[in-house]
Amino acid sequence: MTKKRIITFVSFICVLLASLFLLQKLFMPKYVHGIVEGSLIEEYYTEEEKNHDIIFIGDCEVYENFSPITLWENYGITSYIRGSAQQLIWQSYYLLEETLKYETPKVAVFNVLAMMYDEPQKEAYNRMTLDGMKMSSSKINSIKASMMEDESIIDYFIPLFRYHSRWSELENDDFKYLFKKENLFHNGYYMRADVKPVTSIPKGKKLPDYRFGENAYDYLDRMVELCKSKGIELVLIKAPSLYPYWYDEWDEQMVEYAKKHDLLYINFLNHIDEIGLNFEEDTYDAGLHLNVYGAEKLADYFGRILVKKFDLEDKRNDEKLKKIWDSKIEFYNEMKEKQLKEIEEYGYIKSLAPNPGQ
Amino acid sequence: MKKISIILIILIMLTACSGGNNTPSTPNEPVDNLNENGSDDNLVSDGFVFETNGVEIAMNQEVAPIIEKLGDSKEYFEAEHCALPGLEKTYTYNGFELYTYEKNGVDSVSSILFLDDSVKTKEGIYLYSSLDDVLEAYGDDYEQKLDLYIYERGDSQLCFLIEDGEVTSIEYIAITE
Repeated sequence: MTKKRIITFVSFICVLLASLFLLQKLFMPKYVHGIVEGSLIEEYYTEEEKNHDIIFIGDCEVYENFSPITLWENYGITSYIRGSAQQLIWQSYYLLEETLKYETPKVAVFNVLAMMYDEPQKEAYNRMTLDGMKMSSSKINSIKASMMEDESIIDYFIPLFRYHSRWSELENDDFKYLFKKENLFHNGYYMRADVKPVTSIPKGKKLPDYRFGENAYDYLDRMVELCKSKGIELVLIKAPSLYPYWYDEWDEQMVEYAKKHDLLYINFLNHIDEIGLNFEEDTYDAGLHLNVYGAEKLADYFGRILVKKFDLEDKRNDEKLKKIWDSKIEFYNEMKEKQLKEIEEYGYIKSLAPNPGQ
Repeated sequence: MKKISIILIILIMLTACSGGNNTPSTPNEPVDNLNENGSDDNLVSDGFVFETNGVEIAMNQEVAPIIEKLGDSKEYFEAEHCALPGLEKTYTYNGFELYTYEKNGVDSVSSILFLDDSVKTKEGIYLYSSLDDVLEAYGDDYEQKLDLYIYERGDSQLCFLIEDGEVTSIEYIAITE
């Protein structure tokens, strides 16, 4: 009788936990249409060969501006972008720390726009970076560093608490992608084939203080130390996005920091002509981010620098890698073609719209 | 049966209660200060109000009727939020820039930035006014962050950047969260 009770109790607990797990999976946003950027971080775990020459970390200025496919096609460099929307520097640090548990790249590239933020900004962006991370000490530390005042750490451990009220807005996608999502990105690169030329860019507002914050510098220091301890070359970049405004005063601080720590720092805004960027046709949102044509030009330009500076090996003759990357190139070209067709037919990329079925 | 009922109750409690936001934190609803004709003649705001050419502009106010009155801007810029819905728009007029944010599909005023001394605050402060003028006009109930003097009223802030005793930047900012 006692044994029967124990079995019943254990069964009950199992059923309860399984139900809660399923509900949690169901209620969490799927980020497969509209705001797809929420899927960026978790897609890394599906990567077959986690052994890249280059790891990019940072905000939209990395995941929308550099094409890893071009780095492979033109230089035989393997790379992955661990980027996410408004990725704050402590999130970049912990993402890099987590990535280094899987692999040790030769070069880590960090986009310095995030230096402008010294404290947590917005829960929605926190979620897009943190929810996709697998549970680890890096994730826990990143959550602690990122939480807004009104957030609770338990909501990150058990996202069902955060998302349970989505019950009234569940869509077909929530059921369709309950357990598995198709890949949406190209080694962390978010492709956009549409074009929206730059018309005007607002000048930067005067700031009371142009110095980056202590917290931002602290995490940059940690990043330098982390890379040094693993023998990884850290490269600081400022992507050639025209907005948000990048102040000369900010640039000077990064130049000085790179010099002090013997790091390569490239402000691509100073190399727009050499890269060959034309903001009439190489951006899809009037200068904030590059489209795929701009991202390919930038990757080609950056690849040349990386090969020269860090003596990276051309791996295009590696049969195993070639097979993997051939498949990636196929997916990349298919997506580009699909987006172009949609632009021709609808005037916009329908598959990226919030409700592509409508 | 009793246990199944308990499971169901727990699940219903977890899924059906309405606490918490489903979506990211968003700004307040736009201020609806317009009369039936969409005019701001009777604009009532408990915050700071900027006036130019007889057009009054309050923070968080719906933008469309304001733009209609101000006419075409000299320059226009719009930026999508990174991975969030909505556009931030910037309209440049003589002497100032008007910035917007979007809430539920409605563009509302997020800030106004002075570009030169051809415009002034309602209380008579221009770019290059002195700090004494600011204190005389707005008093000493301000928050100071380095050289930035921040006055708060209702759902708005009025910020003066003071360098060498002179106002070098003036900005009205909507308090949205």
